[in-house]
Amino acid sequence: MHLLWQSLRQSIPLILHGNPTLLSVIWFTVQVAAIATACAAVIGLPIALAIGLGRFHGRRTLQMFANASMGLPPVIVGLVLFLMFVPQGPLGAMHLNVTRRGVFLAQTVLALPYVVALTAAAIQGLPPGLISQARLLGAGRVQLSTLALREARIGVMAAIIAALGTTLSEVGAIIIVGGNVYGYDQTLASAALFEANAAHYANAVAIGIVLSGLILILMGGVGLLQHQGDGLRLRFRPAE
Amino acid sequence: MHYLWEQLRQAIPLITHGNQYVLAVTWVTIKVAVVSTVAATLIGLPIGLALALGRFRGRRTLQILANASLALPPVIVGVGLLLLLVPRGVLGSLHSAFTLRAVYIAQTILALPYIVALTPAAIQGLPPGLIAQARALGAGRIQLSILSLREAKIGVIAAIIAALGSALAEVGAVIIVGGNIQNHDQTLASAALAQVNDYANYPYALALGIVLLGLILLLTGLLTLLQQRTSGIHLRFRMGT
Repeated sequence: MHLLWQSLRQSIPLILHGNPTLLSVIWFTVQVAAIATACAAVIGLPIALAIGLGRFHGRRTLQMFANASMGLPPVIVGLVLFLMFVPQGPLGAMHLNVTRRGVFLAQTVLALPYVVALTAAAIQGLPPGLISQARLLGAGRVQLSTLALREARIGVMAAIIAALGTTLSEVGAIIIVGGNVYGYDQTLASAALFEANAAHYANAVAIGIVLSGLILILMGGVGLLQHQGDGLRLRFRPAE
Repeated sequence: MHYLWEQLRQAIPLITHGNQYVLAVTWVTIKVAVVSTVAATLIGLPIGLALALGRFRGRRTLQILANASLALPPVIVGVGLLLLLVPRGVLGSLHSAFTLRAVYIAQTILALPYIVALTPAAIQGLPPGLIAQARALGAGRIQLSILSLREAKIGVIAAIIAALGSALAEVGAVIIVGGNIQNHDQTLASAALAQVNDYANYPYALALGIVLLGLILLLTGLLTLLQQRTSGIHLRFRMGT
């Protein structure tokens, strides 16, 4: 237990005294998680609404695709993005490899399937008849979308939390695209990997503790949501 | 698109002609995924059954813990495990850090939460009364376990497939405890990462990525097939009406 204990003892002051490197990594991680998830939500929610409410051809295929892409290995996402961003690649002119912008982009791509697949599932899980009745009563697309999002808000929040969770803990894609450059484009997770491989165990443990803290806060959010879910009342009730 | 196409054209022969390196990494990946999933199933199923069927105090707390461990970042598992396995660590005498054995252990630990958390969820989703009636009819622990595993088999298989998926695709923990050493302890995912970042060898990275994608698609297809069969599944144990 000696080494573990020693690393832990050395890591505590790093956190308590606010080591500047650690603080900047935390700040970058929070930025990445927030911005990537926000982008994924802005892009993903309309797609999820289309899948959940739309009545077009290929809707089921689209949903299967969204579900499957949640299981896509991040390394593959990273690899494809990297090859698009190399100077000779189709998006080479944007100079995204080994940049912070590349990390933001990779995490957005990884967060998107969670927003799309889980929100669509939440909307489809609404009481049967709710949407069709609103439709019968003459609700337009915007009204229907607002209604669906409001009624399925617990599921939507859960989807966003799941997206936040991946952007916090994911390393495969951002190491490939970002190159895991010390002091530049590391998130807590990729920095922990970097420090562990450099045998800086106290740093790795400090980063791990902060990351666990962030994940625990998110998990608390999920717990709170599930708790609220039981007491959730429908504001819009189907006539009996 | 020309460049991507060029890389892809160089990658395909590596797969179709069975490049030694790609084959070796694929074989290691399959071994790691299968062995760690089997180990996680052997350890996790009894725990999952206890969580689902048991009536002891703290069962709910344990289940919340199991669910939470699904969200544990693999990197944290990797750091914790490495600190145990390095020579100065508690398990240092095993000489496992930066070996394939460490990769097996890491992937088993990461696969475990899927089995432990998803198995009780599947069993608790069985028709209410099924377990209670079996209990009332005098079924013992082993009979109850067999009954619930048989009835919830689709959910249990889905849990095992989820565990396999994570064992195939995960890199964070594997790189930390294994060190991502070429020809030694790389899986397809970690090898693809190394081929890009360390060697800038894009056709190899693509070839590894394609094989990995193929394995994942195979698993996803299997899961879909199972889920489609679910609607047609019959309960062998029926409640009297």
